[in-house]
Amino acid sequence: MLAQQPHIGAPPAADPIERGRAAYRSNCAFCHGLTGKGGRGPDLTTQTKVHGGDEASIAKIIREGVAGSNMPGFPNFEPEDLRALVLFVQNLSAASAAAAAGPALGDAAEGQKVYAKNRCESCHRIGQEGSVYGPDLTRIGASRSLEYLRESIVNPNADIPAEQRGVVVTLANGSQVSGVRINEDSFSVQLRDIGQKYRSYWKQDVKSVEEAANSLMPTYARMPKTELDHLLAYLLTLKGDNTAGKTAGTAKGIH
Amino acid sequence: MRILSIFLLAFAAYSQVTYDRLLKAPAEPQNWLTYWGDYAGHRHRNLTQITPANVQNLRMEWMFQTGVPGAFQTVPLVIDNILYFTVAGGKAFAVDGPTGRQLWRYDYKLPKGLLSQGTINRGFAVLGDKLYMLTPDAHVLCLDMRNGALVWDVAMEDNEKGYAGTVAPLAIKDKILVGVAGGEYGIRGFVDAYDAKTGKRVWRTYTIPSKEEPGGDTWAADSWKRGGGPTWLTGTYDPELNLVYWPTGNPGPDLHGPSRLGDNLYSCSMLALDVDTGKMKWYFQFTPHDTHDWDANETPVFINAEFRGKPRKLLVQANRNAFYYILDRVTGEFLFAKPYAKQNWAKGIDDKGRPEVIPGKEPSAEGTDVCPGLTGGSNWMAPSYNPALNTLFVQVREACDTFYTAPPVYAEGKAYWGSVFRSMTNEKDYGRLLAMDPLTGTPKWEFRYNKPPWAGTLSTASNLVFAGDEDGYLIALDATNGKLLWKFNTGNAIKTAPITYSVNGKQYVAIASGAGLLVFTLP
Repeated sequence: MLAQQPHIGAPPAADPIERGRAAYRSNCAFCHGLTGKGGRGPDLTTQTKVHGGDEASIAKIIREGVAGSNMPGFPNFEPEDLRALVLFVQNLSAASAAAAAGPALGDAAEGQKVYAKNRCESCHRIGQEGSVYGPDLTRIGASRSLEYLRESIVNPNADIPAEQRGVVVTLANGSQVSGVRINEDSFSVQLRDIGQKYRSYWKQDVKSVEEAANSLMPTYARMPKTELDHLLAYLLTLKGDNTAGKTAGTAKGIH
Repeated sequence: MRILSIFLLAFAAYSQVTYDRLLKAPAEPQNWLTYWGDYAGHRHRNLTQITPANVQNLRMEWMFQTGVPGAFQTVPLVIDNILYFTVAGGKAFAVDGPTGRQLWRYDYKLPKGLLSQGTINRGFAVLGDKLYMLTPDAHVLCLDMRNGALVWDVAMEDNEKGYAGTVAPLAIKDKILVGVAGGEYGIRGFVDAYDAKTGKRVWRTYTIPSKEEPGGDTWAADSWKRGGGPTWLTGTYDPELNLVYWPTGNPGPDLHGPSRLGDNLYSCSMLALDVDTGKMKWYFQFTPHDTHDWDANETPVFINAEFRGKPRKLLVQANRNAFYYILDRVTGEFLFAKPYAKQNWAKGIDDKGRPEVIPGKEPSAEGTDVCPGLTGGSNWMAPSYNPALNTLFVQVREACDTFYTAPPVYAEGKAYWGSVFRSMTNEKDYGRLLAMDPLTGTPKWEFRYNKPPWAGTLSTASNLVFAGDEDGYLIALDATNGKLLWKFNTGNAIKTAPITYSVNGKQYVAIASGAGLLVFTLP
């Protein structure tokens, strides 16, 4: 099958939406999904825009990124490409405006109880409360889509971000230590265990160092649907600021 | 008598690095006189003080901190106990070998509007008592080796049009040969030769033919004008054939083939050029109509050996497209190719050397997963060759990318990619130091890295191979079996290759890492 080349010969500026779509596919879809419904990055089809939905606000986010989040800055877009991309992003949410009623969700206050009951804070933290073992949830409601969050709870293995990858070290005596991989090089590995303690091993001193096959997050596939909806409602309210003292990254690849 | 001895001393203090010395560079293992250490691309040194038995005692003797941020990709020259090296941004240093103390420093004044495409530099060439380097804004400089003073400064091309200089020049006879960077900026690449004394350009050979020239019909419409074909890594030279082998990079725009239908000669090719005239004796194109940025700039390594029953002058290359090639360097005849890294874009290479491309591997609007990735199976990381063991050491990058495409608009001095690439997240990247028989491409052993490396290799006659990795380790392996014998964490990803030399009879190993030049020796 030959690769599709739908834009051959079309003057790139002819249709700004198409131009924006091309820029979106290659630069944004990786995190926000091909349809904009979100993934690791937030859902762009909803009317909720945490950082503002006007052209200047969206352009600023694309150019500069969002400090304290995974959203890097894309400073190298040509002005015309950037305008087209912003228009395309605005169109994503306009298209869904009709269906803006949103998914039926549970009650956030109930969700906070579900969070406590399941002892989520033993791995996660919100603000200063909880553990540094798992992902920080302080502003998870702003940075992840509803569907991504749902999937992360019922099937955590579906997508494991590199910085949360688990590693299993089998020691010389056969016992195993696992945790979040902080760093691994050709000769050593450093991990954080569930007690929030750093551990470091030379590979030559242990039997094996293997990437954990599964997510370190337990699967909550059996959580009752109402509880799950409450929990998701609660998580979506978490839009706190964890950007203090942080700067946004810059998109890699094209410079 | 007294006057005479001072007079003699004055001459001895700055001996001339003549062309004859460059021809016989391997016979001066105490020095490192060219980017590759020789004209043949071997990076092999007949120094045997550091051995597999004692390398475990290797320790850092000194570190020189340049204070200059940015990737440090230089290969220092070592000339009679002094190290000369460039750093990013048009700066350079001379440092005393035994002590690591600075002797001089040179600072090039960069233009205010410098095109931001990186300011890295790979090193000096030396001829006579002059040093030659390129600048980020595509100038060629001649410096006085004695004090770092500027002798002449010539612009190759206009930086505002996307041309840049990163390559270490190559001194041959009375000429300084250079290449150009800017393959992502719609340039028209070339190899230039300058008169070493005056800086006057002697010849220029464009890597992209014009419409009327042979090969001009391999570019649709006027796409050749922005055709790329950069020459950003130093070539190698066969004095018996009077030919310099200078490889070329990607066609532009990198990732959008429909903008430039055709084979796009002489991008992704090996060029054999007459040193005196620049005239092309032959060419071989590794990747016709490349759409994955698979520059062919990797080191052209010479091997003289019997091949299929006939003694031949061979040229071998571990190409960025993941195939290992053997060519006849007299005629350019294709002899052999075999994958040395993971690849999924070609069924193989046919009898003429043309890839049998698997359909559907072009970049697409939705993204196409291709191995190797954009940075290729190998890249600027130097291979090395141990002739006694008949072993070629190649640093291999095992990584795949998703390639996107979209029609770009050309604007002078602007990036001209034709869309982007992204690392595939469902594949674990890693690296290998591959030791192979260069006549068959058969692996002898390999050493595995946790990440794909950017560091090069160095071979010594005591059967050591030095290399580096992306986590900052400088390592020494047994060249016969790949066993790890020594390692040192330099604290920064290594982006260039180590060298070895000796000062006052003591063997050293040096590597640039971070903002420092680190030098090692035995206690």
